[in-house]
Amino acid sequence: MEAFSVEDRQAMCDTFSRLLQDMADEPKLRQLLITESGFDQSVWGKMSQLGLMGILIGPEHGGVGGSLVEVEALMEHAGAYLYGGPFISTCVIAPTILSACSDESLAEECLRAITEGSAIFSVAGCGSSGAWDLPPEVQAVFVDQSWLLTGTADFVSYAAVANQCLVYANVDGGKGVFLVDMNENGIALTPHNTDDATIRLSSMSLDAVVARQVAGVGEEVMEEALQVALVALAGEQVGAARRIFEITIEYLKTRHQFGQPIGSFQALKHIAADLLIELESASSAAQHAARAIAAGSDDRKLMSCLAGFTCADNYRKITADAIQLHGGIAYTMEHPAHLFWRRAQTGQWLYCSSDTLRDNYLAEMEKML
Amino acid sequence: MSDALREEVENWLQRHWDSDNLRAVDTEIYDEKRWLSEVVDAGYATPTWSKAWFGRELSQREARVIEKTFQKHRAPGWGKDRFSLGAITLYKMGSEALKAELLRELLIGPICCLLYSEPGAGSDLAGIRTRAVKDGDEFIINGQKVWTSNAQEAEYGMLLTRTDFDVPKHQGITFFIFPMKQEGVEVRPINQITRESEFNEVFISNARVSERYIIGDYNKGWKSFQAAIASERLIMGMGVTARSGMSSHSKAPALLRLAHKYDRLKEPALRQEIAQALAYRQLNSLTMQRAVEEIKTNGMSSLMSLGKLSMSRIQHGEARLSGTILGPRVLVNDTEDARHANFDAAKAYMNSIGGGTDQIQRNIIAERILGLPRSNDVDREIPFKEIKTGG
Ligand SMILES: Cc1cc2nc3c(=O)[nH]c(=O)nc-3n(C[C@H](O)[C@H](O)[C@H](O)COP(=O)(O)OP(=O)(O)OC[C@H]3O[C@@H](n4cnc5c(N)ncnc54)[C@H](O)[C@@H]3O)c2cc1C
Repeated sequence: MEAFSVEDRQAMCDTFSRLLQDMADEPKLRQLLITESGFDQSVWGKMSQLGLMGILIGPEHGGVGGSLVEVEALMEHAGAYLYGGPFISTCVIAPTILSACSDESLAEECLRAITEGSAIFSVAGCGSSGAWDLPPEVQAVFVDQSWLLTGTADFVSYAAVANQCLVYANVDGGKGVFLVDMNENGIALTPHNTDDATIRLSSMSLDAVVARQVAGVGEEVMEEALQVALVALAGEQVGAARRIFEITIEYLKTRHQFGQPIGSFQALKHIAADLLIELESASSAAQHAARAIAAGSDDRKLMSCLAGFTCADNYRKITADAIQLHGGIAYTMEHPAHLFWRRAQTGQWLYCSSDTLRDNYLAEMEKML
Repeated sequence: MSDALREEVENWLQRHWDSDNLRAVDTEIYDEKRWLSEVVDAGYATPTWSKAWFGRELSQREARVIEKTFQKHRAPGWGKDRFSLGAITLYKMGSEALKAELLRELLIGPICCLLYSEPGAGSDLAGIRTRAVKDGDEFIINGQKVWTSNAQEAEYGMLLTRTDFDVPKHQGITFFIFPMKQEGVEVRPINQITRESEFNEVFISNARVSERYIIGDYNKGWKSFQAAIASERLIMGMGVTARSGMSSHSKAPALLRLAHKYDRLKEPALRQEIAQALAYRQLNSLTMQRAVEEIKTNGMSSLMSLGKLSMSRIQHGEARLSGTILGPRVLVNDTEDARHANFDAAKAYMNSIGGGTDQIQRNIIAERILGLPRSNDVDREIPFKEIKTGG
């Protein structure tokens, strides 16, 4: 079930963490924020050399055959650095969708391109609702031997740097997924002016864009893909929450007021203790959901919903309190707290809202009645 | 390993336990002492303990296999290494001689109450004033304890006493295992907010306890007491003290069944609250599972200390929501559901006050796990007799 030994996973995470430390620390992140694409090709290249692109892809396509357990662990490190590239779409969601494709040559072509580092995928999974579990706002029609896509997708991450896109679309009364080359005619991207600059989102309009069908993939596979995406995101949120929490605890020990470290004030201590529960709850949820999905357990939907809203909400709560615990220093652009806090807000809406996930969690629970 | 163990326990129970009549095979009535002796001697009561002391040196995980098999056959006696506070404390902190004298007895029956809190010493337990004075090879005890759960039934109590008033408060404490059924011990029940009376005032005047019954060392009782209180908090963090969220005949949590019964699962706002309440419970059990795994690999886990505080939010939250689900029906104790909701709402305070309040738990987490500086205890370093008291 778990493809990697604990030691192998740890070694891979350590290498990834060092890479981020060297090439994507806060000063580098801040430089990236003012670039147009928000994407660092050199970090991506190094990640590819480490074999991270093929983390979920089997050796038959050149990957390393890991599971979501490895993805979750890697994402915790990504989160700690607020890493924001097209990793989840390219290396987590796309392989999940493509592995379910019944057209083997299309799957091989795409998966191989991912492991070789030549493909960057965006996934257009929703319309203006932002919710991947609602019907898409793109239509696919079959005209003169080819599929044409028309409509809009929104909140597409890193669409401007992707060369491929998987588009969720309505087709013949059902739903399907289509592969689009981003150089095709008829695609117009409008980058959003996101409040959180650490992630890039665009709206994407399609006007009779030529596409290839990812055969055999419909609503069910997209639901699995959503679960996988949520757990990867949950891992990222845990890593980020842990980092800002550590920064905050450190500050409580070093900042002095009234002749003592502010961490000796009970009003702050008690907030910190409560936040530790939120942090560890999030961590438990993300890790457990990753294992449930890796093992194909029956409760994987329940667990991915739980991880989805818990990690998103607890991350936001931890970052929000972190600012208050810091005082004025965190009310500045120079301090990293706002970067985490803004990213946390993104996470409450990306793929699916926390409230929807909470409701879906209850719906899964109701099946026990 | 676990399959072989399960089979072994199954076989043993088959030979010894009559699960239709809930008594030992070949007996007419359930005789607790006799049954527990069998379980203890087979090593199933305390499987994680050393072989020298009724254990089998099994891992937590293996111990769960035994517990589950016992539960399946509705056979009592399992889990004494998790829940039998007096025995656990003795096992961890008692001298070999004391263990030889009392450990088996504590495992097969008598209730052991906790004689810690006093009118003047609650959260600040190191402020206790119950006095133990040496007299030959015995100690004479005088003082008053309060909030002592199960003191009426208890045959023993774990007793926190002051043996030196001239040193700072943590240093002059001695911890005893104290025989309750003797002259000079008067137990008066207290009516609780739940309408039960489990806890009591205990007045001790010139009662006696043997020097052999010191747990740990003379004047070093604070250390052995720490082990006892840590075990207590662990148990509370597992949520075993309250009516648990799951019931035996349905997999669905009780709160969910209640909402279903009163047709309240269609309201979006209430759904959010119910889902969050269920999530808190599930998250705590996932974290406790993680803690058990961490203990297996690292020998320890700070995650364990989060359980009790988490449990307060869970219990208060679920009880409050039960009331919301019932609506004004909760005002009238004519239905079992209303009675449960009202009882649970009161009982939740047992978790958030007993065994160290939520505020004390937060202090502990902040100071011992997160390493934040201790708050100033003004009385920490001065001789006990110079400490000011009030209220
Ligand atoms: C159901 C139940 C069963 C119990 N069973 C037993 C038993 O069997 N044996 C036994 O010995 N005791 C028992 N207790 C007693 C229990 O341990 C104490 O009630 C508890 O430790 C609090 O002490 P106190 O009641 O004196 O409150 P106090 O210590 O007076 O606390 C009053 C308030 O002050 C707060 N406070 C106190 N100190 C601090 C601090 N340093 N920082 C922040 N806030 C603080 C508390 O959180 C609380 O809100 C039981 C209690 C309950 C509710």
